[in-house]
Amino acid sequence: MMFEHVLFLSVYLFSIGIYGLITSRNMVRALICLELILNSINLNLVTFSDLFDSRQLKGDIFAIFVIALAAAEAAIGLSILSSIHRNRKSTRINQSNLLNN
Amino acid sequence: MDLPGPIHEILMLFGGFVLLLGGLGVVLLTNPIYSAFSLGLVLVCISLFYFLLNSYFVAVAQLLIYVGAINVLIIFAVMFVNGSEWSKDKNYWTIGDGFTSLVCITIVFSLMTTIPDTSWYGILWTTRSNQIVEQGLINNVQQIGIHLATDFYLPFELISIILLVSLIGAITMARQ
Repeated sequence: MMFEHVLFLSVYLFSIGIYGLITSRNMVRALICLELILNSINLNLVTFSDLFDSRQLKGDIFAIFVIALAAAEAAIGLSILSSIHRNRKSTRINQSNLLNN
Repeated sequence: MDLPGPIHEILMLFGGFVLLLGGLGVVLLTNPIYSAFSLGLVLVCISLFYFLLNSYFVAVAQLLIYVGAINVLIIFAVMFVNGSEWSKDKNYWTIGDGFTSLVCITIVFSLMTTIPDTSWYGILWTTRSNQIVEQGLINNVQQIGIHLATDFYLPFELISIILLVSLIGAITMARQ
């Protein structure tokens, strides 16, 4: 299997993440799809690091940075979700208008 | 990973197939707990791909951080939020969904026609030629450690500060 197939898989994951991020009405599902997008980026980084830069592995280091940022983002997003759920008793995206009034 | 050819192929095909099905399951399953478990499946398959692409440290970090921390956190959040409101979430197909799926299918097909047309091996030869052959006895993990301690020292410290700030922020937002 060529590396291009891995790139195809990464494209598939990215677009399905975009689709879920736009169409989901539920905040948890939007966070899950965001993780999918970050994972497709990581897959690209590791593939190109293995192909072009197998001595220095700088793509792997960027992948580790992306993983750390994704962990921070998931913690913040889920705490915002629990806070919104405590105030609004709902996690629908189109009903969270706390800043509106 | 230095596996014989057929085993490598079979593992790649299996991982790709499970990844296709899991990606569909993340988006299309109606109950969010099922899509969270499906996300876990996708993450494990991506970790398998990292093992096959010779980057063991990232694979183990993916297993530990994504599957062990983020996925468990998402599942806890799904279970913490009241389960009764998931069921009344009717899955009707609006015109926005159709338009978004059209846009995403367009993205997929345009990228899939672009990727085989690009001459990757030309890039490969230009990068290989000016790369100094530093054939050492260092393996991947030591290489990553050396880079993190020398070239990427400032981003490493900034990442640690970001993690600290997000930890404090998450705790203060969740404990009011």
